[in-house]
Amino acid sequence: MKKRSQAVASQQRRQVIKGSVAALGLASIGLPSISLAQNKPIRIGMPTILSGRVAMLGESSRNAAIMGVEAFNAAGGLNGRMVELVIRDSKGRPDEAARVTRELVNSDGCDMILDAEASSGAFAVHEVARDLGFLVIHTCSETSSLTADPKMRIPNGFRAARQGVHDAIVGGEYAGGVAKEKGLNRWMSISPDYSYGLDTTAEFFEYLKYFNKDVEVVNSVWPKLFQADYSEPITRLLQGKPQAIYSCLWGGDLTSFIDQASIYGLMKDRQFFGVNMADYAVLTAIKAVPPNIHSGNRYLKSIPKTAQNAAWCDAYVAKFKTMPLNWSWENAVGIDFMLAAIKQANGTDTAKMSEALKGMTIKSPFGTDGTITMRASDHTIIDYAIAWGDLTTKEPYMAKPNLGNWKTVLELEKLWMKSKGYIS
Amino acid sequence: MTAGSFSREALIAAIVLAVLILIPIFSDSSAAVDFGIRLAAFAVFATSLNMLVGFGGMVSFGHALYFGAGAYSFGLIMQHFQLPIPLAFVLAVCFCATVAAVVGAICVRLKEIYFAFLTLAFQMLFHSIIISWTSLTGGDQGLMGGLPRPPFLGLDLVNPTDLYWFAVVVGVGSLLAMRYILQSPFGYTLRMVRDNPDRAKFLGVNVWRVKLLAFVLAGGFAGVGGIIMALLVSGAFPEFTYWTMSGEAVFMVLMGGVNTFIGPVLGAALLLGFNDIITRVTEHHGLALGAIILLFALVFKHGITDFIVQGWQRITGKKVES
Amino acid sequence: MDSEALLDCVTSLSCIVTQTSTGLIVGSLLFLVATGLTLIFGVLGIVNFAHGSLYMLGAYIALSAFRITDSFILAAVAGALGVGLFSLFFERFFMRRVYGADVLMQLLVCYAFILILDDAVKIIWGSEFQSMGMPAYFQEPPVFIAGGVIPVFYIYLIGISASIGVGLWLLLSKTKIGKIVRAAAVNPSMTSALGLNTSLIFAGVFAFGGALAGLAGALAAPVRSMSPGMGFSILIESFIVTVIGGMGSVSGALVGALLIGLIRSFGSIGFPYFIEGIMFIAMAIILVVKPSGLMGKETR
Repeated sequence: MKKRSQAVASQQRRQVIKGSVAALGLASIGLPSISLAQNKPIRIGMPTILSGRVAMLGESSRNAAIMGVEAFNAAGGLNGRMVELVIRDSKGRPDEAARVTRELVNSDGCDMILDAEASSGAFAVHEVARDLGFLVIHTCSETSSLTADPKMRIPNGFRAARQGVHDAIVGGEYAGGVAKEKGLNRWMSISPDYSYGLDTTAEFFEYLKYFNKDVEVVNSVWPKLFQADYSEPITRLLQGKPQAIYSCLWGGDLTSFIDQASIYGLMKDRQFFGVNMADYAVLTAIKAVPPNIHSGNRYLKSIPKTAQNAAWCDAYVAKFKTMPLNWSWENAVGIDFMLAAIKQANGTDTAKMSEALKGMTIKSPFGTDGTITMRASDHTIIDYAIAWGDLTTKEPYMAKPNLGNWKTVLELEKLWMKSKGYIS
Repeated sequence: MTAGSFSREALIAAIVLAVLILIPIFSDSSAAVDFGIRLAAFAVFATSLNMLVGFGGMVSFGHALYFGAGAYSFGLIMQHFQLPIPLAFVLAVCFCATVAAVVGAICVRLKEIYFAFLTLAFQMLFHSIIISWTSLTGGDQGLMGGLPRPPFLGLDLVNPTDLYWFAVVVGVGSLLAMRYILQSPFGYTLRMVRDNPDRAKFLGVNVWRVKLLAFVLAGGFAGVGGIIMALLVSGAFPEFTYWTMSGEAVFMVLMGGVNTFIGPVLGAALLLGFNDIITRVTEHHGLALGAIILLFALVFKHGITDFIVQGWQRITGKKVES
Repeated sequence: MDSEALLDCVTSLSCIVTQTSTGLIVGSLLFLVATGLTLIFGVLGIVNFAHGSLYMLGAYIALSAFRITDSFILAAVAGALGVGLFSLFFERFFMRRVYGADVLMQLLVCYAFILILDDAVKIIWGSEFQSMGMPAYFQEPPVFIAGGVIPVFYIYLIGISASIGVGLWLLLSKTKIGKIVRAAAVNPSMTSALGLNTSLIFAGVFAFGGALAGLAGALAAPVRSMSPGMGFSILIESFIVTVIGGMGSVSGALVGALLIGLIRSFGSIGFPYFIEGIMFIAMAIILVVKPSGLMGKETR
């Protein structure tokens, strides 16, 4: 179209003019014009949620990313080039997340995006990345389909966060064993009524039943996300008389549920499997932690039980005066991968960085064996520490963790992908 | 309204359109392009609401239903049927108008606050459906996977500049169409129904039918705004149908001025601009935006254009035709 | 739609007791909040969109008071009084200016306050969710009635709400103050012409309505975690209750709150996936069939 080629031509003309003036000007000062570009800071844009009910997500993500960037800069940056984080609040609205991302990349000079948005925001940012072609690493969305579904795959999109299905496999194996040991055959669940809750609960039960054929799921209740009052779901659970209850309620909802359940006496003589219990925000908020609770680790200082993990946790607490959360370790891994990609590509070229990330293994305090790998086939991380165990009321909270065996996880994950039609 | 005065307005619209089209040619600010696309979507949405609020005297709290319906229907059509964009556009707008006809038939007979609450109830019902019908709409995660945007008429809507041109043409065109409708005999009948429904009835006007028609037209144009939004974010989200989106449109209308045609457009530009600036500058955008809104509500007490018009009237003593 | 489960429940006494008590629990807190809302509308003609934020403020004030004094009673009183005082300030300096104006201007002012309060709460108390925890003297095992289970704390809550409801009814119908308030609701200009200070009445009613919302927030604090922005859901629900019950009618707020409570508790058995939709349908039906609400009068 005439207008467009005219626009492109005039833009090219302008670039040439700008460039020559700059070169002329700099040459007159006697400096080679390349050195300025080399000292230009590398800007990483970070859309996240800093207000509203999920503001903790943004704060914990931002803290971890800041720590990672500061360490990188203290070690000299990229040949003297420093990294800058540009953080913006999307207020939890996906259209705002998309707008903010476009602004970061188009107007704020960001070369890549560390996306700390929740699931719907992550999908929105992903589409912007598909359209505009910058490198994006998602750090908070655990929805498996973000990377597992081939329709979603783009060469410049990656995820550095746990994946729902990985967690479910480890949890199912652990819970299957406990169920066998204690004869827990009658199960119910209470999880929030939205994609994360529905998918995670379904996946957990799928693997629970795989590892223990005697288990029967009698009923499930689905309160709304951020529902304040759990009386009806609790009474339904009481009426169902299950031996074990599973829940992927999280944060304030989990706290409210446990507080309300305890006045109903729901947890008496029952085993409770709450995947999001082992989270410092929840553990410090609940005044009366009931007995018989099992959980997967969201973030615990003791899992993995290494000096590096403890040191990272202590540094975080010293700097931010609060405990790290699940989103913190995910963003720490995300920023580490991004910075490693910059180093390996020796710059910010998206194609080079994406190529570097495929299959990259980095040392990480959160890896099962000290490392985490970014899988080349679907751009998501593996070998991060997943553990399930029963909980006590104080540190180390999970005294006897059962660490997930990644060989099992990967085998079963492949079967799952086949069943969903993601691979043939 | 005479043919002469309307062609004058069409001329103004053409000039404005020409200026808007030229902006990306002379400036490579992508912020301006993005802002332009969003402004097009919200200006049409807010003006369509003002057809009801300012010109029809019907305060609707549930107008985002049509904004969201436009985004989702357009998104679903493009994802499932691969039709050319103009055809999908027309179909989506028709869908919105149909939904507005059904909802309006039930709502428009109610008065004032009850009408407002009923429109809100219908909107939240629609929202519940969108959230629960996960297999069709993606539930709370929205329409995932992006929208296919096949090029048409030489425009590739994946390119932001092309999308901007499309958005401003559609935006200015929709505003001109709404202006035409509001300056037509129907528009004046609508104003009469707003000011004195009993008198209108005595004059033989079918009040219910007039209100319903206004409701349907407003719904259709709101859908246009939703379609532009869907093209920008390459998807549709349940937040488009939540009552907070209706609230945004209401604020745009209020801050811009309910009694002028161009008020909501200005209000949209103001609110979008404030939002962008505030989120860059401070983390406490609630405090900042809240303070600005209080300024409008308590000090100006009217939207900007109403404030200006009133001032003009006082100075010149002339009454301005809205 | 799980009609089998619903039928099972309706034919079992323990289930009826449990579900009814659940309905009462949900309903009693909702009654407190909705009463404040409906009083403010009935007497001042204002739709107080900031009502949910007042509930949130009450919860947070109670949280701080509890942390300082370790007494739940003091915390609840602090919540109610604190929010009452704030409502007074809000009415006097802000809402007063938009009394005659369009409902949209009132909406705008209230919305501005919602934004400001959410940010203020985040700044003062932090963005992480907070939990008050159950005070020691409520930590008792639940009560069993005919096989149905009711926690002790909730029995207290229902009792408190019921007493407030009865007290309010007595106040409005039997005392002089009640007569004055009702007069101001029906005809403010006449009331003022009779020499009564209507602006004082308005301020008092607004403060009282706000205090009720704050009290509800404080009462719920031991079992519900709080975070900035928690006011929205209670706002929507209390609107549904006031519309169904009749805007301006306290008995309507009672009827509406109980109805919504029971719909929620029995509905969660019968229609677990569509409970929100059901409530909006109920609201829509009332608006179409009898817009003034179940207990409302035809005028206004």
